[in-house]
Amino acid sequence: MSAALRYSLQQPGTPGFVLEVPQGGVTRAHLPDPQSKARFIAAVAKARCGEGEALELLGEQVDAIGSAARARLLRRVGVLSPSVALITNLNAWENISLPAAYHGSPAPERVAEITQEVLPALVDEPLALLARLPEQLNTLQRRVVAFVRLLVVGPELAVIDGVDEGLSRGECACVARFETEYRARHPSGTLLYVDTKEEHP
Amino acid sequence: MLRALREIEGGLKLSLNVVGRMGRLRRAPIRESFLRQVYFTGVTAATGVVLRASVLGVLIIAITMDVLDADTDLAVKILLLLVFREIGPLAAAVVVILRTGTAISAEVAMMRISGQTRALRHLGINLYDYIVVPRVAGVMLATVVLTFYVQFLAVLGGLLFSPLIIDATFMELAGRFSTLFAPVDFFYSTIKALLFGFAIAACCCYHGLNPPNLTQNAVPQVVTRAVTQSAMLTLGINAVFAYIVFGILFFGLVTAKA
Repeated sequence: MSAALRYSLQQPGTPGFVLEVPQGGVTRAHLPDPQSKARFIAAVAKARCGEGEALELLGEQVDAIGSAARARLLRRVGVLSPSVALITNLNAWENISLPAAYHGSPAPERVAEITQEVLPALVDEPLALLARLPEQLNTLQRRVVAFVRLLVVGPELAVIDGVDEGLSRGECACVARFETEYRARHPSGTLLYVDTKEEHP
Repeated sequence: MLRALREIEGGLKLSLNVVGRMGRLRRAPIRESFLRQVYFTGVTAATGVVLRASVLGVLIIAITMDVLDADTDLAVKILLLLVFREIGPLAAAVVVILRTGTAISAEVAMMRISGQTRALRHLGINLYDYIVVPRVAGVMLATVVLTFYVQFLAVLGGLLFSPLIIDATFMELAGRFSTLFAPVDFFYSTIKALLFGFAIAACCCYHGLNPPNLTQNAVPQVVTRAVTQSAMLTLGINAVFAYIVFGILFFGLVTAKA
């Protein structure tokens, strides 16, 4: 099985690590510390390497590609992270449909279909939630909206960072269903959960 | 000095990007953002603030005419030269800087600090397309509309109230105004308003996207810089534009009646 992602961080003074994520599977990676995790997420989200880093994304060495190829590659990768916010002046529905409206795909009907299928499985009162602004949503609802937005984009590689960070036990059970929802829509996609060793010894 | 050069370079880069990406306004979310900006800058500002700005125009003409002991001809020239050409676009620009410039710079800085710009990048959405282009285009259009509004109210106010100060009727003043008014006055103020809107919005977006640090403390600094530089840019453009159009370069070619 080929790798969807290969990443290595080797820098003096930081705990180096190597991460290889097989294509088409679900991988849970516990990175050495929050700094390493932040660097990893930044590298994947920008498809760009910093000092001491090496990254191969979906078969492409990110250092060897130009800006146009990088933009194309980034369309195939999705990152869901607590630091990635919703747009505050758009309601939940507008946030979900924003990437599709900007890129022109998928069609609005498909976005509505995905939303109607996924939201009721994850939150109560999905219709009321769609009309709310991000500031009116709790942590779980914001994360669910960001996840549905990720599903709409439909990346081949989805990286989910700190999925249960700041959530209660009951809410963690809800976000545990993300994997099922992603698999149902992208059977051949790769899902990578990232966390740190300190937070989950 | 280095920071100033960097800001000029960044501002030029942003401006060129905006000009090159104006076609993206056809995309639905960008068009919606553009319309929101037009509504916020043009429509909501038109109610109270612009009325006050137009009163300023009336006051200027009333005081000037009283001090200069003006006749009909001078009163209309003051209306045309001062209020229509200069005060109108400048008053609109001041309103736009105070209302919209502050809001844009603070909003964009908050988007940058809270990770919303990062989210947009992750979704493959270009920041110039989604944040800068609709704001710049919206502010340009709204500044032109506000300028017309201020000019209309100020000129109307001047024509209505001047007879109380000088010995002339409203009809005499209006007739003289229509004789002296030339299309170049209209184009002059329209192009100037477009340039003001562009400079204000581009400057505020630039500072919003480049806060000195990524903490909330950076927001007031961003707003202060954006407003100060927008005002300086507006005054600079006004001076340069007046010199180019009515100065030595086109003197004689552009036959603005004065």
